[in-house]
Amino acid sequence: MTASAKAHDDREITDVDNLAQRFERLGYVTDRALATAVYLVTKLRKPLLIEGHAGLGKTEVAKTLAAMLGTRLIRLQCYEGLDVNSAVYEWNYQKQLLAIKIEERTEQTVEEKEKHIFSREFLLERPLLQSILAKDASPVLLIDEIDRADEAFEAFLLELLSDFQITVPEMGTIKAKYVPYVILTSNRTRELSDALKRRCFYHWIDYPSFEKEMKIVRARLPGIAEELGEQVVRFVHAVRQLDLIKPPGVTETLDCAQSAMTLGKHRLDVQAVEECLGCVVKSQEDSARLKAAGIEKMLS
Amino acid sequence: MQHEEPDRSAASIIEFCRFARDNGLSIGVQQTLDAVEVAKTIGAADREELAFALRAVLTSSKEEWHRFNELFEMFWSASQRAQESQSEESKEARFRTHRSQASSRALLAQSANEASSANREGKDVSGASAQQRLQTVDLSDVPRDDLAALEQISARLFRKMSLRISRRRHIQNLADRVDVRRTIRRSIPRGGDPIDLAFRGKKPRKQRLVIFLDVSGSMNSYSLFLVRFAYALQKYFRNVHTFLFSTNVVEISDVLRNRDLSAALRGLSGRAAGWAGGTKIGESLQEFNLRHGGKLLSRNTVFIILSDGWDTGEPAELAAELRKIRRRVRKLIWLNPLLGLEEYTPVTRGMSAALPYVNVFAAAHNLQSLLAVERYL
Repeated sequence: MTASAKAHDDREITDVDNLAQRFERLGYVTDRALATAVYLVTKLRKPLLIEGHAGLGKTEVAKTLAAMLGTRLIRLQCYEGLDVNSAVYEWNYQKQLLAIKIEERTEQTVEEKEKHIFSREFLLERPLLQSILAKDASPVLLIDEIDRADEAFEAFLLELLSDFQITVPEMGTIKAKYVPYVILTSNRTRELSDALKRRCFYHWIDYPSFEKEMKIVRARLPGIAEELGEQVVRFVHAVRQLDLIKPPGVTETLDCAQSAMTLGKHRLDVQAVEECLGCVVKSQEDSARLKAAGIEKMLS
Repeated sequence: MQHEEPDRSAASIIEFCRFARDNGLSIGVQQTLDAVEVAKTIGAADREELAFALRAVLTSSKEEWHRFNELFEMFWSASQRAQESQSEESKEARFRTHRSQASSRALLAQSANEASSANREGKDVSGASAQQRLQTVDLSDVPRDDLAALEQISARLFRKMSLRISRRRHIQNLADRVDVRRTIRRSIPRGGDPIDLAFRGKKPRKQRLVIFLDVSGSMNSYSLFLVRFAYALQKYFRNVHTFLFSTNVVEISDVLRNRDLSAALRGLSGRAAGWAGGTKIGESLQEFNLRHGGKLLSRNTVFIILSDGWDTGEPAELAAELRKIRRRVRKLIWLNPLLGLEEYTPVTRGMSAALPYVNVFAAAHNLQSLLAVERYL
């Protein structure tokens, strides 16, 4: 492949399979359903809402997308009580006050002074504003765990996602020059509003099949012995069948395999599982339930 | 596979959207337009990819996501067959046939759902006076015919209540911004100009709710609704922990977090041990204190016990455990369904032992009394 052809290849996403391959090259094993959804995001620039249990690589989608497009990833982690000041913008009050003091003796009119202290220089850009102000290329905006933010914030987000513009009363409306690629993730701890869901493509991310999870293990832990990998994946699959409070995700599989490797295990036996138990289950109740179900039985 | 290639003209995509909407997916005009555009973008890809693409546009929840494939298969295979048999007919007529064919198949697959939605419509028209009556009727006396209606009203009212509570908390939170006092204090070394603004912390505390629900035999006629009450609170509050108890304790928070109430209830019947058996409140509370007390009880916790107080255990033990809880939580609320009865006085040994430690002792025999709990949260 010549250099120019390669450069072309890097920029243009030709079809769904092409996108899936690139994701895989970046270490993210995907399936066609997800690849199709992400492909549509890149083509139609609508946000994508990804729901699913914890530890299945929701956040990773956005990171991989940014890496693939060679663009910036802007991340907004939602939490209860997240407000516009920490998500969009805030005036730098300290700097403004200092500026007023400095300009006290100058000849400027009040209007000029006001215009100055409410200019971009004094604006603290938070993630959402940053995503709109991108100067050279569309960034990837990851709005992580949107279900943790409250309804008021969700309503605000709606406005942003439909117009990609933000109004700062003192400055006027700022419109995105490059519309960001938006990925939202949710753990389903609460129902999102219909209006928001309608604005987005939707993808439900489920626990992977045995084959897919093996592929992920191989991609993420290249040094792992095939047998050990298979045992870990099979074991985690069996654990997911139990009625646990927090079933292990793919992250847990990888942690468990990694620890087994670090501990120098070549195969997963009862002792090895007990040593790595903390990687798979994350609470005392779950660990009791797992032990009650019989570790030996689940390994066979 | 060539013969199964679906017709992806805009008209058939629109037709499919209409079909999916008739079958319960929430699809608006915007989605339909998006679907057409998506089909165009995907281009000459295969059937599977079209299905994935349309699914990404037309669904918006896990439930819809899982239903989609079935609808997709149903529609395109039906339209395929119709196409083969009546290819000479006008396009217009053909689509109409697809539709009736496809939807009659859908009806078969959906009869249960259909019945329930017809039912729902029926309930919606029940008049205001009936609603009023149902809100005040004792939950153990609800006539069988009214159960469904009551259930629906309660779901709505509980939801409103929870929204009110969360909104109220939200407004309180807005109040904390700049701390004027500390700002001025800091401005002294700078000649009185407030250069360094001091902010007050955002969330002083998060309220936690622990619900302790009696499911022993004597509570039988109430527990059905009280579980729904817990479900509603669980749904709209993040930090709620629900336990069932009779002679032992089971945590059910994870089951109630299920978004579908009937699925949650099914999950419950698998979980609850000793459902409708005897009551040992004291012992149950002891078990709770031992296993969860350290984690869940704090000054931010409101502890709600839903029980009639008929206890076969030792009153002294009950009192001791309640004292432990009372010392650690912000508020201890006991809701007793029997308090709604006119002749009832809390003289059972258990109840009278408990009363000194309870902040709020209130009734929980009908919807109104449950809704009144809002005051204390």
